[in-house]
Amino acid sequence: MSSSSIEARIALVGNPNAGKTTLFNALTGQNQKVGNYTGATVSRKSGTFFTPHGHKFELIDLPGAYSLDPNSPDEEITRNVLIGDQEDEETPNLILCVLDATHLERHLYLLIQVIDLGYPIVAALNKTDSAESQGLRLDPTALSERFGVPFVAISAMTERGITQLKQALRHPFPSPPGRLWKGPAELEEAIKKSTKLAETNRENNPAASGLMAVVKDNPEAKEFIQKTRFEYIHRAVEVGLQRPNEELLALTDRIDAQTLHPIKGWCIFTALMITVFWSIFKFAEMPMGLIEEGQETLQGWVRDFIGEGDFQSLIVDGIIAGVGGVLIFLPQIILLFFFISLLESTGYMARAAYLMDGVMNKVGLSGKSFLPLLSGYACAIPGIMATRTIPNNKERLATILILPWTSCTARLPVYTLIIPLIFVGALQQGLALFGIYALGTITALLAAKILKPRLGKTEPSQFLLELPPYQKPQWRHILQQVSERAFAFIKKAGTVILGLSIILWFLETYPKSDSDDPIVQQAESFNGQIGEIIEPVVAPLGWDTRMGTAMIASFAAREVFRSSIAISYATDEEDGKEMRDKLSASTHSDGTALYTPLVGLSIIVFFIYALQCLPTTVIVRRETGSWKWALGQLTGMTIFAYLAALLVYQIGKFLGYS
Amino acid sequence: MPKSATDLELDSALTLSQAAIGCDFQIRQVEGPACSQLRDIGFCEQMRVKKLTNGRNMLCTVCGTRLALSKDLADQIQVVPA
Repeated sequence: MSSSSIEARIALVGNPNAGKTTLFNALTGQNQKVGNYTGATVSRKSGTFFTPHGHKFELIDLPGAYSLDPNSPDEEITRNVLIGDQEDEETPNLILCVLDATHLERHLYLLIQVIDLGYPIVAALNKTDSAESQGLRLDPTALSERFGVPFVAISAMTERGITQLKQALRHPFPSPPGRLWKGPAELEEAIKKSTKLAETNRENNPAASGLMAVVKDNPEAKEFIQKTRFEYIHRAVEVGLQRPNEELLALTDRIDAQTLHPIKGWCIFTALMITVFWSIFKFAEMPMGLIEEGQETLQGWVRDFIGEGDFQSLIVDGIIAGVGGVLIFLPQIILLFFFISLLESTGYMARAAYLMDGVMNKVGLSGKSFLPLLSGYACAIPGIMATRTIPNNKERLATILILPWTSCTARLPVYTLIIPLIFVGALQQGLALFGIYALGTITALLAAKILKPRLGKTEPSQFLLELPPYQKPQWRHILQQVSERAFAFIKKAGTVILGLSIILWFLETYPKSDSDDPIVQQAESFNGQIGEIIEPVVAPLGWDTRMGTAMIASFAAREVFRSSIAISYATDEEDGKEMRDKLSASTHSDGTALYTPLVGLSIIVFFIYALQCLPTTVIVRRETGSWKWALGQLTGMTIFAYLAALLVYQIGKFLGYS
Repeated sequence: MPKSATDLELDSALTLSQAAIGCDFQIRQVEGPACSQLRDIGFCEQMRVKKLTNGRNMLCTVCGTRLALSKDLADQIQVVPA
């Protein structure tokens, strides 16, 4: 797609939960994470689309903002783009302002601010179907007259009104409506002077910069403008919106009475979480079995097809065992993402944040930190980026620093490999997994309590969160999101994991030993030699050299631990056996079992706490603006993980466990 | 000096955290360190607000939107019965 054919750039702005991302997808056909809680969109996303008149426009999805007076880093991005102050971003030619028709008064506040900036604007009146079902009667024509911008009634979810919206975005764009309110002479004079100064300084949008400068320096002017804007909205809504008399939030009220109850709410939250973890084991059993069978069948075919030798070993023991060893966890990862998306989509996540605020407050954080931490269970990177919605800088830094201790899905292959060696039955295994997640979370919260006061003095966090009404799951978006994640996982298995599997196979196979004994071959291989070097370090954890080398390899990507173990044990004699049976049967040279429950526990504890993800370190550097925090976090978490695993193993051994 | 009607009304105003659950109120004044943030999210003078729950974080609806806010923030919002 060449940028030369793009005729104009349109910025999509709106409050969080206004449906910007859904509209963005409906217009451009691109997919993006759709959340039902505040701050789902935290990074720039753009796409292109054609109007019915054949014009090609670029659409930029800006982070959700309640106002242009930013309270968090992502709101600041929106403000900066609109006043032409954002690096590497040209000022847009038109603003497409998305308004939630069910919360019109509040959303009009952002529109009236955008109007003040002097852009051509089109207002998309979204969620009109929900508004109708709530008995709200909207009059887009009256609103268009009042605000001087075209209002188009749409439903981004069902794509109703999208064609009309594209027609309204016709080129040339409508003229800017101009400021709708007037201040006292003194204020008007100050705005005029400030705008002139911005013109002299060659600011990208002098009208916007001029007004913002006045508001910034004068709290009284700011208060006056805020009140005047709301008064204008109040009058406009009297003609543009009719509300039913009765309260129609009854369903949300009834559900909230249970989910936000101080006792019942926690019971529901805990039950939901246990169900999620139990389901991850229970429902994934069959597809995982099928993948494993498929992998073995494929290995059998390759063995029949390619004669015995290094090439066969590379394909069977290196590539298929390495990639298959990770791919087998695809069903569990799909299930975890499915449940997270489902809870987001129904509106429950914001309730979970509300419940968690009390707990978070005890460790110096607020409920706002809960949503990024929760994203961290899927992947630390979007979680760290979601911290941009936290207004308080110290709270944001503390959240970034503890976030990798919420176990991401990359750890799941390791947990689900080791847990069945310790626990039997889906319920016990599910509870063990829940315990692992709980341990990571509790440690993260305790770390926040210790860290936060050491990060310097800060204003106390104020909790203010929108709780969207409960709604039916948006199945299409859930499926989109899950398939995106599944595809990303498969891609990683087919690229990074494949490459690393080949390297690991090479290190495991060469140099060749004169002996036919696979144990001797392994000891003399590069991997064996590396293992010998690090053995003194990992032996106190109860690990053997193969586990040690797998742990080192896993610093490239956590899943590689599973591949490395799979490749190491693929050369063992019992080829027909499943991986876990092989691990259970493996022994030390003195014949004692290698993978005892205590060793399993030591591995799990190490993986709960170690930060084995270089992309996370790079993102932490970007978000904190300092290598000091990023490398400090990496080193600190690795040392902590080692000490925790050491303590678990040594104390367990001292108490007589094996 | 005799009090004006606005002063008398403000004298009888409650903070949102003191207001009774289930009743409709109108916001009379928003004052405090977070007043700008509160106005931005919809807690602006003249707006109608309904308090749904009490507690450290309370729930209320403003302009049809359900919001959770801490007691510290609710203390910055003065309301009168609607």
